[in-house]
Amino acid sequence: MANIVLPGQLISEKEERMGYTFVENGKTYATVPSIQNDDGRLVPLRGPYEPLEEDMVVGFVSDVRFAGYTVNINTAYGAFISSRDTRDKFALGDIVSAKVREVTEVKELTLTDAMSLKGGSLIKFSPVKIPRLIGKKNSMVTMIKDATGCDIFIGRNGFVWLSDKGDVSLAKRAVQKVDAEAHIPGLTDRVAAFLKENKKQ
Amino acid sequence: MAPPKDKPKLLKDGKRLDGRGMGDLRPLKITAHVLNEANGSAYVEWGKNKVIAGVYGPKECIPKHDQSPYRAILKCRYTMAPFSGAEEHGRSGPNRRSTELSKVIREVFENVVIAEAYPKTAIEIYIEVLQSDGGTRCAAITAAAVALADAGIPMKDLVAAVAVGKVEGRMAADLSKDEDNFGESDMPLAIAPRNGDVLLFQMDGMLTKQEMQEGFDLAYAGIEQVKRIQADALRKVYEEGGKDVVSLKM
Repeated sequence: MANIVLPGQLISEKEERMGYTFVENGKTYATVPSIQNDDGRLVPLRGPYEPLEEDMVVGFVSDVRFAGYTVNINTAYGAFISSRDTRDKFALGDIVSAKVREVTEVKELTLTDAMSLKGGSLIKFSPVKIPRLIGKKNSMVTMIKDATGCDIFIGRNGFVWLSDKGDVSLAKRAVQKVDAEAHIPGLTDRVAAFLKENKKQ
Repeated sequence: MAPPKDKPKLLKDGKRLDGRGMGDLRPLKITAHVLNEANGSAYVEWGKNKVIAGVYGPKECIPKHDQSPYRAILKCRYTMAPFSGAEEHGRSGPNRRSTELSKVIREVFENVVIAEAYPKTAIEIYIEVLQSDGGTRCAAITAAAVALADAGIPMKDLVAAVAVGKVEGRMAADLSKDEDNFGESDMPLAIAPRNGDVLLFQMDGMLTKQEMQEGFDLAYAGIEQVKRIQADALRKVYEEGGKDVVSLKM
């Protein structure tokens, strides 16, 4: 099993500038359960979405106002699309994908390039494991899309949209498998085998 | 129900009623990630205590006037279920004791949670005591620490807690309910193991300075075991994969 570090665990005797750590008295300690890579950096196993500008996110419209739309992206902070930023009109409950244009210092998000995702459904996925679902050069998500014929749009915030065509049930189970086993090596092969076994002929 | 007139003997041949030595803890079992809906959770069985903790957050802080622009606000609710104690309903439901414990437990975690990471939000800790047999606040803190880590809330340390006390003139670790009720002193302690900071320090009864020092020594030794079991519980989640929790073996 990979090296799992826990909150308060010593990572370095020196002051390091690394995510998911804090420094005290010149030493660096972990803050959340994470796996330590060979290069010493920490990959968190748990935790909320940390928004960055340029991230693609997926959410649903939770409030419609004259000035714009509030989008629920399952974070503590609001995400807002200004009416001036979009030509489309969205309705309450519409599922949208968008890009994070700005993150204020109190973590409020402004979104841009909003697009409606018609039909389909949303699944919740652990935000810290999203990179694993995407895979190197989209390898993981492309593999699932090809095997199931289901369209998938991944939000960095942990919402994953599945279209309603293709084998939606298999796609959903494959995505959930990635969430459950993201930290265990050999995932790509296991998911490939899973898709092959369960593919409807 | 009034306590029996004759105090039971708590020590026999230098050992405690359940056969433990003075520094021995009761059997402690911790399972992390036991609830599907909470962001983080943990279930603790410590002796006959059964405690479950669930953590939500960081989430929108409601009511808004509670929120701070500088940091997350911690909220904590400790309650005991009606069937948790020997007396019918016993200390269950919201009461002064559970209000006090909710506050002191919140203050424990305010020391270690890196709240500045999530301004204007709330982090909520819910602890339910399903069965109690002495030392429930320590079991509650032990569970809540694991639940917070399971939720990925950044912390400076994993807090561990244990109650020590005086039983028929001798200091003992991890008092059971009878030892707490009929002993001479009960001193629950919560400690951040990394630097030894004491984050909760309460006491009933009377102790000399010497006895208190002995109590602290027993507590520091005791939490070494508690923290190992907490760490194992968190690591175990990743050995088995973070599956949806279907059953909870109690």
